[in-house]
Amino acid sequence: MASLEARGIRKAYGGVVALKGVDFEVQPGSVHALLGENGAGKSTLVKIMTGAVRADSGTLKLDGTEASFVNTANAVKHGVAVVAQELSLFPHLDILDNMFPMREPRMGPLINRQTMRELATPILEELGIDRPITTMVSELSLAERQLVEIAKALVASPRVLLLDEPTSALETGAADRLLKILRILRDRNVAVVFVSHILEEVMSLCDQVTVLRDGSVVLAGADVSKLSIHEIVDAMLGKTLEADCQRREPETPATDLNLPSSVVAPVAHDSGLNVSNVSSAAGLHAVSLKVKRGEVIGLSGLDGSGANALLRAVAGLAPINAGQITLPGGRPRPRNFRQAIASGVAFVSGDRRKLGLMLDKPIWENIVQVTAMGLAREGWFLRAEHLKKAAGALANMLGVRAASVNAPAGSLSGGNQQKVVVAKWLNARPSVILLDDPTRGVDVGARAEINGLLRKVAEEGAVVIYSSTDLEELANSCDRVYVFFRGEVCAELTGASLTPSALLEVMNTGAPILN
Amino acid sequence: MTTNSEQKQMTPSSPSKPESRKDLTRNESWSVRRLATADWSSAVFALIVVLAVVGFFHPNFLAPGQLINVLQNSVYAALIAAGLVFLIPQNEIDLSVGGNYILTGVLAALMMRAGMNPMLAAAIALCAAMSVGLLNAFTSQLIGIPSLIGTLAMGWMLRGLALALANGTQVTGLPMFDPLFNILGGGKVASVPVSVILLVVVGIVLTIVMRNTPFGYRVRQIGSNADAAEFSGIPIKATRTAGFVLAAFMAGLAGIVALTFFTIGDPQSGGGIELFAVAGAVIGGTPLAGGRATVFGAIVGAVLLTAVAVGLVYFQIPATWAQFATGAVILGAVSVDGLVQRQRRISSEGE
Repeated sequence: MASLEARGIRKAYGGVVALKGVDFEVQPGSVHALLGENGAGKSTLVKIMTGAVRADSGTLKLDGTEASFVNTANAVKHGVAVVAQELSLFPHLDILDNMFPMREPRMGPLINRQTMRELATPILEELGIDRPITTMVSELSLAERQLVEIAKALVASPRVLLLDEPTSALETGAADRLLKILRILRDRNVAVVFVSHILEEVMSLCDQVTVLRDGSVVLAGADVSKLSIHEIVDAMLGKTLEADCQRREPETPATDLNLPSSVVAPVAHDSGLNVSNVSSAAGLHAVSLKVKRGEVIGLSGLDGSGANALLRAVAGLAPINAGQITLPGGRPRPRNFRQAIASGVAFVSGDRRKLGLMLDKPIWENIVQVTAMGLAREGWFLRAEHLKKAAGALANMLGVRAASVNAPAGSLSGGNQQKVVVAKWLNARPSVILLDDPTRGVDVGARAEINGLLRKVAEEGAVVIYSSTDLEELANSCDRVYVFFRGEVCAELTGASLTPSALLEVMNTGAPILN
Repeated sequence: MTTNSEQKQMTPSSPSKPESRKDLTRNESWSVRRLATADWSSAVFALIVVLAVVGFFHPNFLAPGQLINVLQNSVYAALIAAGLVFLIPQNEIDLSVGGNYILTGVLAALMMRAGMNPMLAAAIALCAAMSVGLLNAFTSQLIGIPSLIGTLAMGWMLRGLALALANGTQVTGLPMFDPLFNILGGGKVASVPVSVILLVVVGIVLTIVMRNTPFGYRVRQIGSNADAAEFSGIPIKATRTAGFVLAAFMAGLAGIVALTFFTIGDPQSGGGIELFAVAGAVIGGTPLAGGRATVFGAIVGAVLLTAVAVGLVYFQIPATWAQFATGAVILGAVSVDGLVQRQRRISSEGE
């Protein structure tokens, strides 16, 4: 008997049908992958199965008996826990207080922190969270928060656990630990639903796979061992997508993107971006690197190793103590972020909800924001219709899937939201594009589109610097990758030596590869 | 460009389904639905209801003269509310606008009584009002005092200053026959008071500033997501400072208009006008949560509250109960609006 079973689930938001009668079931003691492109309906299905959203029709069965959840707390009570794609922690509470939302162990009317500690500590240790449990969540890194989120779901000892892209923000080491824990859960007969974009994880970890496309099931509970990655990707996309490794060839999808030749600000002959001997309080030690215009450069390294600090220093978001940064065109290092934008720096953050978008504002207002509002380059009198047209053209070019540019950005799926963030920066015609884990929570198709677009922008003369936790992606889409270790550049990989396994080894050991 | 992108979306190398994409360059036309979902629609609807209800029982209320009287009475709060909508969406507030309104009038009156040219006196008093706005920006943006507390304290200081400067009494003996008083205070064009015309003109100008300038967009975007606004290069402190100065200027302008109408500088008047203006702005469709703003709605909101106050007189509600009734009407109007907004959010959720 299935632990959790969904039958004929239908859901429409306004006029948009998200799920068209979906069947899904997960067996105890198995890990079931739920795959699909952004907007295919995965998140909606997960929300319905965990009580966050109500289905328009259809039934849920828990161990064979019909169930309906009033809300997520109610679902947890029934043994269905979820690790959501978007983090839902309280930043002003410590780790322990975040572990038992609304179900704290009590002693009379008081919260019993002693019991909480006893329950939480083993799980936190197993996940490898080495921070004291009294650490405020606001002090944790994104990856650490994700681990706390996972611990929070595990502490309820669920019978069904849904993981909505749990590894997208995790470093490789932490992701490995999570995968180990999932194996333990499987042994304990827990039914696990695993939503991910990282197909290697799915292949190595999952027993069954269900693929959704446009709100319908196209592959139902298939045995993973009988499938290849290629077959799964085909099912997700509904057609054959050439393997990722083609992206570096001259005939990438990127080249037929209709990019107007004026997307990038014309910069006179110069040497691109120059970073020499930069040290900073944020942990950089004598970092030097050069990026020519037209190059796509990757930055890699463990959390806190300096890749992110370098991006922030170049963007004027953090001060430097020593060294020099020269932007393309010989422009000096920006003193603050606003100055950086004015001198042609773009910064695409993976944290699009906090730093990238205004979710309640229409898509067009987000796209023209840097140019028309931030820098006020469109003059003092703005015509909404004119701005909408410009934004619509960019949104079309990037393939943003939306009903209209007047729709709020929050109504888009994750991949489309990130395309809007990219559009917003391309609209400012940057000469340096910094990307901090830009494809977090973005599906395969949109990733390929975004990466192709970056390649195209680089070909037109921009400097593209790309920091990512996805090593496969770095290896496939970058010309060279600088690997950071404890604040220093410990290796520069290029050509044949640029492989995911080489990156993994260097970033964990700090030793340059000898070949 | 458009056709090209469509073609591009049809090519096999594009992994997404072309039929689910739409051309995003097309424009949507105006429609009744858009009008009905405008931020200010509830306030306009409520105003019509109030006029209809009072007018049904007391048709005199709908006489043109009476309606113009309501408008004239609402000018002061409406001007202040129209300034506050440049602050509230940025998650800031100015509660010193009431004190500023009084002090500006008293200051101008004192200078006029001392023999200064009335126009010059008004200009100087307006400059003083704006410098109060700068001071508010200084305490909230540089020192870091939450503007709710900082401007509350500032408001008391300004009221106290007005009282002290005027020696605790009304400032009288003003040059009432000066054109400033004759035109702005008592003048009419086709039986419409000049002050009402001023309100309309200011409303149009500020609406353009709100809807069509980078400043207006910034004001609304900062409240929507301040982190993302900063990440788009929007200068947050400068925008908020401009908001404080504009709100203070509008309070001063209201003070000058009031002075020319009443022809006395009264340090004891205008009690609670700042909250009246805040309520008008919120009812009009500028939520305290930030991110949205409408100048027109704020003016309608202030007119609505004045219409309620005047309308209550018709029902012969004892003066002792008038405040209670006004408060009840405000609560009712905001509650209905809240319910409507919630319904709208639910129906558009996830679209």
